[in-house]
Amino acid sequence: MSREIAEIALFTTAAAGAATVLMLGPGVGLAWVLARRTFPGKAILETLVSLPLVVPPVATGLILLWLLGRRGPIGRPLEAMGIEVVFTSRAVVIAMAVMGMPLLVRTARAGFEQVTRRYEQIAETLGAGPWRVFRTVTLPLASRNILAGALLGFSRALGEFGATIVVAGSIPGRTRTLAVGIYSYTETGQDRQAALLLVVSVAIAFAAVLVSNRLAREG
Amino acid sequence: MLAIALASISGSAAALAAAGEVTVSAAASLTDVLQQAAKMYEWQTGDRLVLNFGASNTLARQIAAGARVDVFISADEAQMDAVAEHIVPGTRKDVLSNQLAIAVPDDRPRAFASARDLVDASIRRIAIGDPAAVPAGVYAKTYLERAGLWKQIAARIVPVGSVRLALAAVENGAADAAIVYRTDIGAARRAREAYVVPVAEGPAIRYPAAAIRGGTNRRGAQAFLAFLDSPQASALFTRAGFVPLAARRRLHP
Repeated sequence: MSREIAEIALFTTAAAGAATVLMLGPGVGLAWVLARRTFPGKAILETLVSLPLVVPPVATGLILLWLLGRRGPIGRPLEAMGIEVVFTSRAVVIAMAVMGMPLLVRTARAGFEQVTRRYEQIAETLGAGPWRVFRTVTLPLASRNILAGALLGFSRALGEFGATIVVAGSIPGRTRTLAVGIYSYTETGQDRQAALLLVVSVAIAFAAVLVSNRLAREG
Repeated sequence: MLAIALASISGSAAALAAAGEVTVSAAASLTDVLQQAAKMYEWQTGDRLVLNFGASNTLARQIAAGARVDVFISADEAQMDAVAEHIVPGTRKDVLSNQLAIAVPDDRPRAFASARDLVDASIRRIAIGDPAAVPAGVYAKTYLERAGLWKQIAARIVPVGSVRLALAAVENGAADAAIVYRTDIGAARRAREAYVVPVAEGPAIRYPAAAIRGGTNRRGAQAFLAFLDSPQASALFTRAGFVPLAARRRLHP
């Protein structure tokens, strides 16, 4: 296996891992809010969170490009601070996180909804504050779903294509991921490289499914 | 229900093909000019043109995979060579020439004294077609190597899927410059021309066209290829900034 292929595999896995870490905080927070709170506009928030699942990924990429580009509302201040996003590895991670997060939120939310309220109420009567209740009762009881959701998000991130190619491109050694690489190599007639990436993708997917099945059984 | 819908779709497609439908796969840089030419052709002949635009390497891959295409217009010889065995013998000819140019965003317009200005530190990302196969990228890389600039700016190159995507990267602010064809910039709303590579300094840019064996309308393919050389089509191409090669071919057959 060539060095280039190994680098792409490593980069993709690392970027998907970083994306999973990035989505974990906001994803779990959103899941909890949606499971436990009622407030005006909740239906809209619910819809917004699921949007990347239904909107064509390329459209999500275009929205990100518009937001993060040098002329965009987020890209402009970042540019002023000297932070480049578009066409860098940061863009890869952001695209992966946005596309993976709905899966994490939906799975984690189901987990929070299954937590028996009585346990939390008992902890409260014993004098625990809301943060302590969340940390020591709610979170551990929902942890299996959160883990499953994180794995789902990670898997989605690994295969992300549509948003990534728009906002991060396919720069060899910098933003080229497995999915984007297979496409680029095919388009440019480098069939051998494409086939190698294909084998690597299947191997990584196989390992991911194996691990998640094992986790499900042990849980 | 679905079967009926599918049958009616394929039925109407067959009916259209019978009425004289010509499928043309053409280089992305021809998008605007061929759309205009198509109107003229359809009005003259009553045939309908189905235009499939993309990077020439993508189109060549589709043809090699058996796509039902009547005419292929590539932006370089290499991609036409790649489908050599799918070409109807004797139909291949060079129809157009073009020039490379450097595009910059319209909110940062500037004029380059030469391509050497690309080395300037303010140009952090330069979008070009993927030099592994996209013709505009192959031409751009050839030119930059010949100018002795490639090594200096290779780290800033952003390879994209087609010449129009390179232009789009400049338009949406993702790249600070793009090397495209001179004719592309006219179509852009948010990009400006910073430099045109003189013909003598740039690589020779040729657009070969040919009828494709896998097509279903051989007569239509021949007619459209002839139309590309007509005075009306040549006038349209010239107005869009291309150099029609029909007259030159008559002088040096």
